[in-house]
Amino acid sequence: MQNARDTFYVALRDRLAAVNPARTIVLRGVTRPGVLVEENELASATVPVNAFCLHWTGLSVDAQGALPLATMTCEISYATDGDSGNGGMDRGRLLSGMDAELVAAVSAAPQTVTKMNYVGAAGGSGLAPVAMGTNVFWGDAAFGAATVNGERLERVATVEVFCYQEAGEL
Amino acid sequence: MGELRDASIRALRTADVLLRCGGGRQVFLRLPAPASSGDTTEQLGLAVPTFQDVALEPVVFRKARATLAEGKAARSELLVSATAVNTLVGSTGYSAANVMFATAFGVLIDDVLMEIESASESELGGTTYVYRLLLRAPLALMV
Repeated sequence: MQNARDTFYVALRDRLAAVNPARTIVLRGVTRPGVLVEENELASATVPVNAFCLHWTGLSVDAQGALPLATMTCEISYATDGDSGNGGMDRGRLLSGMDAELVAAVSAAPQTVTKMNYVGAAGGSGLAPVAMGTNVFWGDAAFGAATVNGERLERVATVEVFCYQEAGEL
Repeated sequence: MGELRDASIRALRTADVLLRCGGGRQVFLRLPAPASSGDTTEQLGLAVPTFQDVALEPVVFRKARATLAEGKAARSELLVSATAVNTLVGSTGYSAANVMFATAFGVLIDDVLMEIESASESELGGTTYVYRLLLRAPLALMV
């Protein structure tokens, strides 16, 4: 299941970067696309704004088929304070823009990608990630209500991600 | 203008003296090394950054509140000399102190790594003379 999570993150990151290349964050001194997986970063009380933050929450496994089918819930939270140059009065427009970017990235066909194993590529080994035998696929994003937190507008969208658990895969 | 600058310098030096006299001690700020550009495996949590501990001195460490809420980790407060922070910001290459505190993994105090929940500053005439960090003890130390 971890391979599916990694694959979905990389696919979403690349699609979001294609939709809006200007949406970037600086994390530990490096500029990267404005999307991250919360559990893969250092535990911090700092909430990134104007970026998509992925949280893996729900998990269920249907073991009735030839291969177990895992259904995972990915919560994508994002927030904006608006542009300080505009006094934050454009925060609704900026949140709407992030909504549109997420729709474009998640709902674009095909909503599937080949599952990849990135473990061998870790630690600067120079090895390419390995393509696995099954796909990762997902549904459309379900958007929660926008919430106001002080000057900040926040929203959480949920995406159901599916994958088959291959033999020997952890 | 000159008087204001003199007052700022006096506030800075006074804060340093008060921190040293009020139980001033040394703690370590744990900073992660810069991320590898374009390294997907680091974004996937497969590669972890290296850390460096840099000394902060003088500081005063104290409990933030006397009463503790059930199920909540204890919070503490760290008053840090702006002189030390300014030196550190310059030497580590961060653009500002708040960026450095936001990037830091935590503060190492007596071998306990405490998370930085917030950072604020007190200033006079545009010059910060002391930083106040609100720290949270690790959940593993909850009793």
